[in-house]
Amino acid sequence: MGKEECKTMLDALNKVTACYRHLVIALGSTSDSQNLREELKKTRKKAQELAVANRTKLTTLLKDKTISKEDRAEYERLWVLFSSSMELLEVDMKRSLEIGQDFPLKVPTRHLIQTGMTGSTNAVAARAMSVQNMKYEADSNIDTVDLRDLQTEITQVSQMMEEMEMKVQVAPWAVVAKQEAGAELKSNMSVGNSSVGVISICEEDLFLVSIQGFLAVLNVKTLQLVN
Amino acid sequence: MTIRNALRDHGQRYRPRMACLKKAEKVLLEMQDPCTGVKSQPQRLVITIIPHAITGEDIIAWLADRFQIDAQEARSFGSMLVALGYIYPLQDHKRLVIKPDTSLYRFQTPYFWPTQQWPVEDTDYAIYLAKRNIRKKGILELHEQEQYNHLHKWMNHKWDFVVMQAKEQYRAAKERKKPDRVVFDCQERAYWVVHRPPPGTVSAMDYGLDRRTDPNTDETQTPDYYERIMIFTQQSIMRPRVKSSVSIGALVKYSATYSGHDPFLSKCLPSNPWLTDDTTYWTLNMSNVEIPTKMRVERWTFSFKELLSDPRGRDDFRLFLKKEFSGENLAFWEGCEDLKWGTAVAMREKAEQIYKTFLARGAPRWINIDGKTMEITVKGLKHPHRYVLDAAQTHIYMLMKKDSYGRYLKSPVFKETLKKAICPEEHKFNEVQLEQNARNRRPSLSPIIIRQQEQEQRAKMAANAPVDITQVMSKLSKQGKEMGPHHSK
Repeated sequence: MGKEECKTMLDALNKVTACYRHLVIALGSTSDSQNLREELKKTRKKAQELAVANRTKLTTLLKDKTISKEDRAEYERLWVLFSSSMELLEVDMKRSLEIGQDFPLKVPTRHLIQTGMTGSTNAVAARAMSVQNMKYEADSNIDTVDLRDLQTEITQVSQMMEEMEMKVQVAPWAVVAKQEAGAELKSNMSVGNSSVGVISICEEDLFLVSIQGFLAVLNVKTLQLVN
Repeated sequence: MTIRNALRDHGQRYRPRMACLKKAEKVLLEMQDPCTGVKSQPQRLVITIIPHAITGEDIIAWLADRFQIDAQEARSFGSMLVALGYIYPLQDHKRLVIKPDTSLYRFQTPYFWPTQQWPVEDTDYAIYLAKRNIRKKGILELHEQEQYNHLHKWMNHKWDFVVMQAKEQYRAAKERKKPDRVVFDCQERAYWVVHRPPPGTVSAMDYGLDRRTDPNTDETQTPDYYERIMIFTQQSIMRPRVKSSVSIGALVKYSATYSGHDPFLSKCLPSNPWLTDDTTYWTLNMSNVEIPTKMRVERWTFSFKELLSDPRGRDDFRLFLKKEFSGENLAFWEGCEDLKWGTAVAMREKAEQIYKTFLARGAPRWINIDGKTMEITVKGLKHPHRYVLDAAQTHIYMLMKKDSYGRYLKSPVFKETLKKAICPEEHKFNEVQLEQNARNRRPSLSPIIIRQQEQEQRAKMAANAPVDITQVMSKLSKQGKEMGPHHSK
């Protein structure tokens, strides 16, 4: 079924966009490195492949005049998801170009910002690329070389988005979301494990103790919040 | 394509006043130098150790040393960097100030630096709130909850995307090591404290409307662009010229006259309310105050315009004119101002009223203007508009300026006011009192109420309008005739 395929592809694009954002946030800080630049490059390429695939799929689906109203509404919703992802990706790519230019890695007088982040981001990149471990094989001057590629890719993405706008007539404000407020809490995510040992960042924060039973109580609370 | 930020994005981006951002970035980079930069220390949190924490006093000392300024100024500079979002506090994260003690701060990552090029998107804020909702398990702060509901309502079409992204970003963040995760949470939270300040926080990024074009980009050379250059140069040629010695002399004279009255250049008596949070200065200088301050009265002597533009000065002048029985001039001038600045609906009526009261033959408060001006005015009044009485008003204004103003400054009314004028003592607040003043800040009277009061006053004055001399004389002569036969008693 076209819808399921679309959904999985969109999920993949969504995942890659989120990971890309995390990587761009680390640019310019003390966790910046050759590896990070390479991770950015690879994630970007993957994102673009997914974007093109998504676009062709969705355009063909939306151009089809013989689909029912509910199907059309569903495809429009998926289209809005896709275009929002692309917007985020485009902004992040432009920002990574800007920050990458401001913080070249090889210049000794140019210091990286001491943000307190010192670890590597290879796990994030591995998640984006859906691999177990990242392999690093790029040259040592990737930070300057990559920027040129990045510029061309940004223009490509902008062009693609303009084409998208022209070809497909979708009114984004007419789309009704399926998720209600507080939907992110009712997920099958294991919120529990990560917060064991969560430390208070400052004295005002309460120490969070994660108990699985709490989630049930709070699910009720979110339903109240929806009203 | 979605409509980005339909509510707040007016398609305008650039505001020159934010040039401080580039300068602040340079300072930030200097601070990073391992030899000459700010000393950093590790922060200990239960079991984890996070590097690159800096103390407030170190920052202030570094700034004072680098720019050769005193500690107070370094402290303000540091607070500015924190308010802009380049450095964020680790404890007490909602108060964006630098404390000159061992409280810890950290540098913000370049992605979260404030910049005008990349407007702060509501989509990002929605994703952040959703992530926070997950982390805090549904318990958001009050203002965050309100924002969340508001965004959910107007950004509803994107809400699926927001939820999906929030979950993915949350999962991606978990892939990093524990210290980096903590740092990332702090960074993101600090970013949103600056750009969506909680109630009671002052963020420096609140700079008002943006300009339409970036003043630093090159403009495209269209024919229209060259047309504009041509018009500009033609107008420059036709502009009247003044010798620089004359214009500079005027500037020097103006600066010398007004420098004592400028609150930036000299002390404001009793104290500048913006600095000490004490509103005595404003209450002493209100428009309907009985006894003005000496500085205010001095300003009335600078020029006639100053006297008229100050409401208290105008009242004094009106009193003087009443004694001289030439109040109609000022009343006419005020009527003309009212016509110029009033609503279009009432214009016709007002113009007629003014004509009947001041300009018509045998009017109760007839003003003395020359024949030519009268002719022009009467002709114009057939089709009245806002500026129909301009010529007459200018004539009367020059009359008052050349004649009455000089006599006013020598009159007993003015001398009396000058004698009674007060010169308030300067306040000397210490730190504790300043903080107390800051806590006791109260909003002033609403401008709506002030305008109502002004209107009431004006109505009262119109009711007790002073009669002019012809009426007084006719009344006296009538009285004399009545009392005539019995007068000898």
